[in-house]
Amino acid sequence: MGSVPDVLTSMKRFEPALILTGAILLVVLVDATGARWRDVAGRILTVGGLLLALVRSVELRGVSAEIFGGMAIVDPLGSFFQALLIAASLLIVLAFTFRNSRELHGLGQGEFYALLLAVTLSNVLLATANDLAMLYLALEMVSITSYVMVAYMKGDRMSNEASLKYILFGAVSTGAMLYGLSLLYGLTGTTSVPAIRNALAAGIADANPLAISTIALLVFSGFGFKTATVPFHFWCPDVYQGAPTPVTAFLSVAPKAAGFAIMTRFFYTGLAAPRTGPWDLAGTIDWVHVLMVISVLSMTVGNVAALTQTNMKRLLAYSSIAHAGYIMMGVVALSQNGARALMIYLLAYLVMNLGAFLVVTLIHLHDGTFDLRDYPGLYRRSPFLTLAMAVFLLSLMGIPPLVGFMGKLYVFAAIVERGRSYFWYAAVGAVNAAIAAYYYARVLKTMIIDNPAAEKPPFRLALADATWVWILLLGNVLPLLWWARIDGWARSSLSLYAGPPS
Amino acid sequence: MIGLQHYLIVSAALFSLGMLGILTRRNAVNVLMGVELVLNSANLNLVAFSRFGSGNLQGQLFAVFVIVIAAAEVAVALAIVLTLYRLRRTSNLDEADILRG
Repeated sequence: MGSVPDVLTSMKRFEPALILTGAILLVVLVDATGARWRDVAGRILTVGGLLLALVRSVELRGVSAEIFGGMAIVDPLGSFFQALLIAASLLIVLAFTFRNSRELHGLGQGEFYALLLAVTLSNVLLATANDLAMLYLALEMVSITSYVMVAYMKGDRMSNEASLKYILFGAVSTGAMLYGLSLLYGLTGTTSVPAIRNALAAGIADANPLAISTIALLVFSGFGFKTATVPFHFWCPDVYQGAPTPVTAFLSVAPKAAGFAIMTRFFYTGLAAPRTGPWDLAGTIDWVHVLMVISVLSMTVGNVAALTQTNMKRLLAYSSIAHAGYIMMGVVALSQNGARALMIYLLAYLVMNLGAFLVVTLIHLHDGTFDLRDYPGLYRRSPFLTLAMAVFLLSLMGIPPLVGFMGKLYVFAAIVERGRSYFWYAAVGAVNAAIAAYYYARVLKTMIIDNPAAEKPPFRLALADATWVWILLLGNVLPLLWWARIDGWARSSLSLYAGPPS
Repeated sequence: MIGLQHYLIVSAALFSLGMLGILTRRNAVNVLMGVELVLNSANLNLVAFSRFGSGNLQGQLFAVFVIVIAAAEVAVALAIVLTLYRLRRTSNLDEADILRG
């Protein structure tokens, strides 16, 4: 541990994160020059850095080892999530620009790119953390940088209020998590996640099962906050509504994916007994049922609250809480298929949710409104945008033949194959999907059927915007043509490095 | 003789007081003080466990990082509270109520 050759090998395997760090510094430097070309240069550097990091993280997928003396891990699961998280940032930078977002228009660009790269870096670190200190540091880095991104519109009261609420909820839930982590260290005498597993498996002489359960609950509050699941979801609608839309789109996908990555890693590596199966070490609490309740509540609360929303950003916020509930089904299934379903769902969620937010941004660019009541007549003004929105919303609904359907299919299959006692859970999920179909369809009905109060001029879509809507649109359909490869990628990414054998 | 238990009791008290402060205070700065108490109760735990329990330094190392994170978090939070004050002439959290529904 800590020898020079070890550090050198680690550096090589740490390259995606190093590239991102370099890109952050370069963007900050370029922005500090004050030159006229700094915005363009910052954008090029960001895209270049993200692309390079993406390539490196895909190249590293065959490796499975600890790096930096066990602080972080390189394994196929980590590589999958790194690629997903970097791709999310890449799509945000490319599809959402300072030109097509009315909210960001005219604001400084350099800081935005630096912050986006910083969140990406911390997301990547979070997905590969293997030590409690690393886990907490990465989680806080994701949070602190996203607080600043939410408050990016400095003079805007909504943006400011959203960031304040985000910080307060974040501070409480990560504070509770840290307290849980400190108790976990006290109980096991180590901060390394695999070593914690070994210590718990060996049995601690005077460990009270209640203590371990309390710890696990406290630690879960941090994961719940990151993934926006009930009862840690209260910040979600306000933050999504107040933040600039590109930031909202980013927050709805990337930190959620990173949260699910570390949740899977922590519970499967840290609390799973090597022989008797997962989660047996998490105390007397029946974790499967606790998570099931959280998942059912997330779906139901998210979907029911979305029914009455008229602000599109708020509607999509509640829908994202509901989707976190569906994704959680993959964690509850506790099987290889469950983990694969989780990954497939997150991939699908990336393209469909970013697509929906892009359309909302473009409508805001032209009409200056997020209100659903201003949406009537859009079909006549821009059939293309309306049809694109229809595809994204149908994908979110889970209608075949779109990727959203594949996500739901995998998740429900993973649950149903667990046996009869899980059927009610799958049924609740299905009922929820039906409720969700109602409010997504309501948006479409407003756009297509309802008559506008006043005639507005037809849409003029910039070529770049139309191109990115097309790309995301095809991203919802085309993957099905190469489904075997995507499924194979997810399947081969299932291997989780669980520390040296004890 | 002061032992591990005494430290744990103090840290549990700090944690509870911090949470109480966060939940009951109206002023944003007071809430942030509560956050500091929560983070430092965990620090106390980490250092005490490192000293009396495992005998390794991982806990103390962790605590050093937590101190840094706490400073960063409060720096960002105070900047946001300052903007709140500039925009509305108040640091009372109850008045930040545009976003609802």
